[in-house]
Amino acid sequence: MNIRKRHNLEYVASWLLILAFSVWTINLLFNVQNDWAQSNEITRVDQDVHGLLDPWRNLNRPGNDVLENYEVDAQNQALERYLAEYSEVRVRLEAHRATHVPMSDFLTGMDEAAVAAEALASRVLQLATEREGLRLSDAAPDSIRRVETEAATTMARMDQAFQGGLDLIVDMGESLDRRLLDLDTSRRASIGSLYLIVAVALLSSALSLVLLRRTATQGEALRSGAERINAIVNNVVDGIITVDDGGDVKSINRTAEKMFGYSAAQIVGRSFTELIAPDRRAQYNEERCQPESADPGREESEYLGRRLDGSEFSMELAATRIKVEERPLLVYIVRDISERKHAEERLQLAASVFENTTEGILITDGDGNIQSTNPAFTAITGFTADEVIGENPRVLQSGTQSADFYKAMWRSIIDTGHWQGEISNRRKNGDLYPQWLNINAIKDSRGRTTNYVGVTFDISELKASERMKDEFIATVSHELRTPLTSIHGSLGLLDGGVTGKLSDDSARLVRIAQENCQRLVRLIDDILSIAKIESEKMRFHLQPVAIDDLIASAIEENQEFAKQYGVRLQARSGIREARVLADRDRLMQVLTNLLSNAVKHSLKGGIVLVGAQQHDGYWRVSVVDNGPGIPESFREKIFSKFAQADGSDRRKGGGTGLGLSISKAIIDRLGGRIGFTSESGVRTSFHFELPLMQRSTIVDVTEAKPAEPLESSTRTE
Amino acid sequence: MSELTLSRILYVEDDADIREIVRMSLQMVGQFQVATCESCAAALKLVDEFNPELLLLDVMMPDVDGPATLQVLRQRASAENAPAIFITAKVEAGDMQRYRNMGVLDVIVKPFDTMGLPGQIEQIWQRYRSSMNDNGG
Repeated sequence: MNIRKRHNLEYVASWLLILAFSVWTINLLFNVQNDWAQSNEITRVDQDVHGLLDPWRNLNRPGNDVLENYEVDAQNQALERYLAEYSEVRVRLEAHRATHVPMSDFLTGMDEAAVAAEALASRVLQLATEREGLRLSDAAPDSIRRVETEAATTMARMDQAFQGGLDLIVDMGESLDRRLLDLDTSRRASIGSLYLIVAVALLSSALSLVLLRRTATQGEALRSGAERINAIVNNVVDGIITVDDGGDVKSINRTAEKMFGYSAAQIVGRSFTELIAPDRRAQYNEERCQPESADPGREESEYLGRRLDGSEFSMELAATRIKVEERPLLVYIVRDISERKHAEERLQLAASVFENTTEGILITDGDGNIQSTNPAFTAITGFTADEVIGENPRVLQSGTQSADFYKAMWRSIIDTGHWQGEISNRRKNGDLYPQWLNINAIKDSRGRTTNYVGVTFDISELKASERMKDEFIATVSHELRTPLTSIHGSLGLLDGGVTGKLSDDSARLVRIAQENCQRLVRLIDDILSIAKIESEKMRFHLQPVAIDDLIASAIEENQEFAKQYGVRLQARSGIREARVLADRDRLMQVLTNLLSNAVKHSLKGGIVLVGAQQHDGYWRVSVVDNGPGIPESFREKIFSKFAQADGSDRRKGGGTGLGLSISKAIIDRLGGRIGFTSESGVRTSFHFELPLMQRSTIVDVTEAKPAEPLESSTRTE
Repeated sequence: MSELTLSRILYVEDDADIREIVRMSLQMVGQFQVATCESCAAALKLVDEFNPELLLLDVMMPDVDGPATLQVLRQRASAENAPAIFITAKVEAGDMQRYRNMGVLDVIVKPFDTMGLPGQIEQIWQRYRSSMNDNGG
């Protein structure tokens, strides 16, 4: 039963109850009042009835008295007086005849008795007078006796009449008393009932209060419920739009307003299709026109929504058909799913990358047990996902790496969350293969490692092609040098006059050929260096290098060259003893390169100064010249390959344009920095910086391999 | 024992042009007696008769390379004690170290200065001689 019906029933029942109680109460009150009035009346009647007793008794008295004392006149007067008294009371009683008290019989009886009694009393008094007359006339005793006898008889009859009246009065009194008693009982009953009614009324009031309270609460609940529903409808994350059977929008909540950019006023009464992208409206109309009986429940579908500004977004429509006041209404729950769609697309993309990339991907849980692998992993290792899931990745280990290698790997993963490098693993068929492996720890928001992701690719082919490239470079280098050796050697012999003295012109031409031969050789050397550095094949023999000694050697070796340009090399005074960890030959190559550049770009008679100083945690070695400086336009590309300021530079210096590029690559590999400052026409300073060598580093190095220099083929970073 | 002054040099080189240039340099500039051959096999035919004081060997040669030729020649009594110098166009630092470790006096890098080559070899020879004297007493 619904609340409203129950409520109505209670309402009607309450009113009926109240009506019944009211009628009863009025009736009771009326009864009580009636009883009360009757009771008062009867009491008054009763008083008057009792008031009759004395005059009535008195009426009898003269007759009796006269027989005692024969005072007939006096008794006559008394009788007159008593009759008057009686009449007075009788008149009073007559007044009650109109009341509810039935007293006609009584009054009639009394009147008859009174008439009889008066007549008899009067007769007695008459006989008494006769007897007195007889007695005074001394009449015969018989006559007197006869009168006396008659008097006595009359007296008896009179007594009898009086007794009858008296009985009437007593009966009437008793009757009235009984009536009073009845009335009293009835009144008490009524009052009892009234008490009961009051009690019931109080109880009902209390009950009504409770009921009222409940009703009020229900009312309030209904009111606040409606408000709450409004608040909910307006604030839910989903848009809610109602549409009538004509397809027009009836209502729109705030979320939907925001979603579509329409205000309620702008869209209510207009077609719902305006909220759907034009090219999807046909689909909408088709679906909406499905027979209503087909599925009265919820229908969900994805649509492209259209905002007021014309932009479109993915939305999900859930339609519910309801009936309000017998009219069908469509309630649409609209959800903006563009974010979800994007997320889905991103996930799909990620999944597709995972499935289709040529890099093997292996994901483990936080304990290192394999959770997932991709098809490329299977292609590389030969292991299917099912074969390795739940296993530890060490099933792939080849045993060619030492325990220390893995220890260092895990140290890096734990410390930095990352490791990458070359590693040799074993395929399912037992073959070893080199791979590049990149391991990343995946952490949750609380910083706990939940997964490790290993991305790997087989570098067998890469390694093979690298080997081929190295061999190619070495071969090309050898094959180029061989004819150059012949050319250069022949020219040398010619120039040396072995075959006889050359003319001046011939000698000049031979020298040009020889110089260019040398340049070609340097070019080959530099290209080889660059190729090696770039493929990280250049081996570095790291050892502590004394800077002051290095500078001194470099100056000594290049002094002769400088002299050809009329330039002097000079070390700055006060270079402190300092050491850096480096490959001495490579460092010498760099310093020689910087020196030769400085010499070539110095003016004749200039001085190139070489200095070293501590700078910002590094040792900085600088080479300073007073040449014209570096053109502004050239500064940016000065360290790039084949960079030379202009064509004349090449002829003048005979350089390859690779020197600074090689120097930079070497210094980078040594974990240092290279740079320059230049003031046009004043001074140009090139420098390289290497990290200061810590005492502990020195100890480590010397203890590790005291006899031989350290070799390192890895990048020093 | 070897003479105090160097006179007989056996040069093995597969490239005919370089062979000729080096021969000219050593003979005409350095005034050495030079025997040149294009391969290990040719050297073997010649070594006993020539009795070289110094072996000058190209490193990269087809069939038998410089280091192998050195080993083969050292089998012969005539070249058993002859010191050797490698000439190579391969200039990698690691290689240089490896060659030196094979018991050769030095490595000369191609291309070289043909006028300076005899002097360079003479210097190496003298260094070797003095070390022999130091060791041998």
